[in-house]
Amino acid sequence: MNSDSVILLWGHASDSSLLAVHESLRKLDAPIAFYDQRRVLETEFQMAVETGVSGKLRVEDEEIDLERIAAAYIRPFDSRWLPQIERAGPNTPEWIHAVKIEDALISWAEIAPAFIINRPRIIASNSSKPYQAARIRELGFAIPETLVTTDQLAVKEFWGKHGSLIYKSVSATRSVVSRLKQEQLNDLQNISWCPTQFQEYIAGNDYRVHVVGEEVFACEIVCEADDYRFAFSEKDKVELRAFDLPDDVSQRCRSLAAGLGMAVAGIDLRCTPEGKWYCFEVNPVAGFAYYQESCNHHIDDAIAKLLVSHLG
Amino acid sequence: MILIFASRHDASSVSLAARWADHNANIFTCDDLSVAGWRHDLQLPAASLAVVGGRVVSLHEIKGIFVRWPGVFPQELTQITPADRDYVAKEMMAFLVSWLSSLTCPVINQPTPVSLLGPAWRLEQWTYAAARIGIQVRKAVRHVVFGSENIEPSLPSTTTDVTVVGDRCFGDVEQKLRELSVKLAKEAGVSLLRISFSGPDSNSFFVGADLMPKLSVEIEDAVLELLLKQEVTTA
Repeated sequence: MNSDSVILLWGHASDSSLLAVHESLRKLDAPIAFYDQRRVLETEFQMAVETGVSGKLRVEDEEIDLERIAAAYIRPFDSRWLPQIERAGPNTPEWIHAVKIEDALISWAEIAPAFIINRPRIIASNSSKPYQAARIRELGFAIPETLVTTDQLAVKEFWGKHGSLIYKSVSATRSVVSRLKQEQLNDLQNISWCPTQFQEYIAGNDYRVHVVGEEVFACEIVCEADDYRFAFSEKDKVELRAFDLPDDVSQRCRSLAAGLGMAVAGIDLRCTPEGKWYCFEVNPVAGFAYYQESCNHHIDDAIAKLLVSHLG
Repeated sequence: MILIFASRHDASSVSLAARWADHNANIFTCDDLSVAGWRHDLQLPAASLAVVGGRVVSLHEIKGIFVRWPGVFPQELTQITPADRDYVAKEMMAFLVSWLSSLTCPVINQPTPVSLLGPAWRLEQWTYAAARIGIQVRKAVRHVVFGSENIEPSLPSTTTDVTVVGDRCFGDVEQKLRELSVKLAKEAGVSLLRISFSGPDSNSFFVGADLMPKLSVEIEDAVLELLLKQEVTTA
């Protein structure tokens, strides 16, 4: 690695997790190249690949030599939703350019001989929740019993077995996790149009665990709602507090993140009143800012240190 | 039963199913995912059910699956209300990734979360992988500039193609290039791959790769042979 190595940050400059890592790197006096994707229309990208990867990322008069990038923390939004691109509309020169820049950078991030948090192919692993759930189970965590079906009768049988079910999207499309109500059982004709995911309802406390390399940060989430991310009413108020995970659970979280190829992961756990730990999902582009503030965790510093350790 | 996942507009897959009729080959498309009867049970794979051509089939009836289409696209979902097609396409794709990955029968190619055909690498990724296993490559160059035509490298006007099916290799090229082709397919984790070279000799350059190649009769036979192999033991 060159002595003038840099750490690339790629994402939207209003993203609080990205900004927090930027600030932590700044405190460490680390060499940073911040690519704010809002500047996509001023961006030029050049890449040449054979046994190595070289090229340049240029934004107006600022230029980053790709070979200098020793580590990268990437959290880009879909460029098509940037205001200037959305305004221009599909298939306009702006839209096409934004898509091409994003695609080229993703291609670079897949093969760059740099330390990347996390590579795009790793991020893709949670685009299918049941696919990821099967990997989670292989890596040692219990998962709720899961059925994806177009069959009303199958749902009724599954309900009969478990008594209480939740349903949620199969893909990475963000959806509210909802409890299936008894009266909905006879009104499930629409599931025949598209496979729908049902899971046994697991009672217990929620925990969000962030793994950063070998470091583990756990946050207990106290909330009565089925999905605390969408708890807006007063009675469903969300309380977050730092939590000491049992050592064996911490170790399983480390193994899970490593097994999924994630240097940084946001793991959603639930612990039953009997003390059994379930894993619901692992987020490879974990937005940690919301959690670290309440828990006085320093996830941003841990990510910054991990990136700096790859500067060579 | 052999299943072929294809686009609803893919006539060549329909012909292939007819050619494999002795093995009870059936086409299934995204239309089949809008029919009551699918059960994908993560705990009890043996209890899972599929729906093909309106008929519910258990997994033990399925001997192999040949994937001939990369995913589920909103444009194909004419059975779904237009406003819901984007969402349903993502849901169906996520379902198929999980379902195909859970099967113990041969699936060619094994899906990845981004494509049902395999790893969906870009040219740079293929070039990088090819170079690292010793295949001659020309630099894969990409230059994206707003407001001007992007500069694409010119490709040779003619290419020599090699198709890898498992450990077999079809194409009139030198042995060394055949061996490297099989190695590249393994590197990509795929059983079916067409690789284009600048010529037939061992020093020819890598030009491109295709996970959904056109099939000759001999390649179809090789794929069928691979599909009919014993069930694999891992899920």
